[in-house]
Amino acid sequence: MLSEVFTSPFFGISISIVAYAIGVFLNKKTKSAFFNPLLISYVIIISILTLFKIPLSSYNEGGDIINMFLSPATAVLAITIYRQKALIKDNLLPIIIGTLVGSTSSLLIVYFSCKLLHLDEVIISSLLPKSITTPLALSVSTASGGIGAITVLAVIVTGVSGNILAPLLIKLFHFNSEIVQGIAIGTSSHAVGTSKAIELGEKQGALSSVALTFSGIITVVLALIFF
Amino acid sequence: MKILYQIAIIFSICFVGELISAVLPIFIPAPLIALLLLFLLLETKILKIDNIKEKSDFLLSNMAFFFIPAGVKVIEHVAVIKAIWWQFLLIVIISTILVFFITGLTVTLVIKLQGRMKNAK
Repeated sequence: MLSEVFTSPFFGISISIVAYAIGVFLNKKTKSAFFNPLLISYVIIISILTLFKIPLSSYNEGGDIINMFLSPATAVLAITIYRQKALIKDNLLPIIIGTLVGSTSSLLIVYFSCKLLHLDEVIISSLLPKSITTPLALSVSTASGGIGAITVLAVIVTGVSGNILAPLLIKLFHFNSEIVQGIAIGTSSHAVGTSKAIELGEKQGALSSVALTFSGIITVVLALIFF
Repeated sequence: MKILYQIAIIFSICFVGELISAVLPIFIPAPLIALLLLFLLLETKILKIDNIKEKSDFLLSNMAFFFIPAGVKVIEHVAVIKAIWWQFLLIVIISTILVFFITGLTVTLVIKLQGRMKNAK
């Protein structure tokens, strides 16, 4: 039958690339963070799967191959740190203390607000690593009994809201220093926020990528110790 | 051939990361071990950025794309999302703003303190 065609890995991979390309195109056209390429991709892919009643397992034949690249994509963040060694050296204390305090408060705020709203343990585990980059957030979430897909959604909503709100928040809080802006964006909203930091300036972008890597590592370590 | 070598280098580092993660008595995510390993190789000049430049630029510049399948899995959990959607949005957005503020404030204070210590000297 025709439905068997969809179990080919080529289906999952092609549909992902096409959906992402449309997302990037719309994002460039509208220049609005609401049109986040990832969010658009989800809407397109999930609509197609639902509309044509294609099971998720068929999509995953290709999806799992793309998934495999998450680990290498995290590893190459090492290059960001290596390239920015001088910048890290110059701002070592602000980076370390900023990401440490930021990551700790992220875990605490999420934990206690979940408790306050009576969400169960599975949801708490899924939301805790929401401020860090997807592959690391996924490992923390699944290791502590969370639902990976909900973590990914939380990570993306975090990134998109950081991306949209960063310029407003900078004005509101009078964060005029480039160092402050970069570290705050990277720590609060990982890679998706970092794309806004890059728009603000080269220094902000570099510090934001450094901060997202540091806070990713710190969050993994903290989650290991406490949860 | 060049790209093939670069893929081999990065994938091998990831594989060694998974190997170490499996052997270690405590849980450390394999991608994190691979990150530290790659940094160590660059730092010790065993590996040069040129050895892996094209492949890592490909990974870094298309980072978001690789997150697609992990997020699509959310269709399996529509019921959960429907049950908690407003709490979900509230917690995620408010905590992002608070973390931004707390981090920015901390960095501002550290920079001020460093400036003062320099002046005192």
